Amino acid sequence: MDISAIILIAVALFVVYAILQYNKLIRLNISVDEAFAQIEVQLKRRADLIPNLVETVKGYASHEREALEKVVQARAASTTASTLPAVAAADGALTNALRGLLAVAEAYPDLKASTNFLQLQEELATTENKVSFSRQFYNDSVRNLNTAVKTIPTSFFVGLAKVGEREFYEVEDPTIRNAPNVKF
Amino acid sequence: MTDFRAMQSANKRKTFALLFFMGVLVWFIAYVAIAAFGGTGAGVIPLAVLITLVSVWGSYFASDKLVLKMTRAQLITEADNPNLFNVIHEVVIASGLPMPKVAIVNDPAPNAFATGRDPNHALIAFTTGLLDSMDRDELQGVVAHEMSHVANRDTLVSSVAATTAGVIALISDILMRMLWFGGSRNRDHNGQQMPIFLAIIPLILAPIAATLLKAAVSRRRESLADATAVSFTRNPAGLRSALEVLARDTTVVQARSNAVAHMYIESPLDASVASKLFATHPPIQERIAVLRAMEANPSSSN
Repeated sequence: MDISAIILIAVALFVVYAILQYNKLIRLNISVDEAFAQIEVQLKRRADLIPNLVETVKGYASHEREALEKVVQARAASTTASTLPAVAAADGALTNALRGLLAVAEAYPDLKASTNFLQLQEELATTENKVSFSRQFYNDSVRNLNTAVKTIPTSFFVGLAKVGEREFYEVEDPTIRNAPNVKF
Repeated sequence: MTDFRAMQSANKRKTFALLFFMGVLVWFIAYVAIAAFGGTGAGVIPLAVLITLVSVWGSYFASDKLVLKMTRAQLITEADNPNLFNVIHEVVIASGLPMPKVAIVNDPAPNAFATGRDPNHALIAFTTGLLDSMDRDELQGVVAHEMSHVANRDTLVSSVAATTAGVIALISDILMRMLWFGGSRNRDHNGQQMPIFLAIIPLILAPIAATLLKAAVSRRRESLADATAVSFTRNPAGLRSALEVLARDTTVVQARSNAVAHMYIESPLDASVASKLFATHPPIQERIAVLRAMEANPSSSN
């Protein structure tokens, strides 16, 4: 085999390699976008549950206005947030407000015993967990992407793919795991 | 080891090493077959491979449907058990896997398994005994462990291990029969390099070695599933507590056999019979200790 054939093969192999690295970066970037969309899906689910919760609590504890107001306002703020830091901040505020409302509800035995409220609690608990897990999955995706972007040899193809590091989803409050006692 | 990522890498490396040794063992037996039995020996090899491939890979492809029948599991929908589906759905989100099919086995012994040829055809099942004895966090630990088997393609890995062990066992079996029923007639006419009597030792030992290696692969995958479960839930205490519940419980699943034993979260076969080397799962106390170490070191569970 003469030298020009060898060079040709080497170039061809390099092109294939470049394509693989380029595609890898693109795919990782798309999974980060997907993961972020998934967070928004879960946040919306939570937002949709809230009016029901507010009405149920109001039915038994209407004078707990402060706690109820906080939740309503936090929910309104969360529906308008769009950039990642804004979404994270609104998400944190709503989580806090909900926790406050549920803590207040502890003092009302009639409310606690109502089947409506119990079902809502499970719904809320699972939705909070889903929000928390989708944040975790997003951060995992970002970690994978950022690692690829910064490590050699994939880092050489970052310019070609026009893919960059993405930011992590930071929440002020540590995530809570909700585990109510439910029978399966 | 308190870091689940390190644990995952270590288990994957060990699996690779074990499968590599199994591959070496196949070549060794093939060599013995040809060296001691000449042309006849060489003919046995493709036959053994074909039979094993058909039986193992046939069941691999239909694994989800097949296992449903073998374990008498009933498929359920979200309406049948919304709380269980919530727990599973949370793990689905954390893992990025598709939602598997879910089934219930009517059995008072607590246990669970996962199967399916790939994540898009996955099935996870739980006994009624398990659902009754676990709280939400424990159940989520078990769900995460089963989904880890799906994520790590353990049905595929164990099929590969089973194929290799199966080929070795079949070659040895056929050749031993030939030996027994007068293979010595061919001894001087086939141009083999190894005297037949010398082949007996590897032919007897190889299947045993293959079974030991297959069991070792199974143990590594169980350990990997524990680590991957923590990577999903970031809550080692849940799975640890679930294993403690299983360790305390002494009832055993009814619908069990060698064929499906390795898939259960806890080995349903009699513990006193299976010695440590043949065990398909690491000892449960060891698994609990590993998870406790992760709990003690919270920064490792992030």
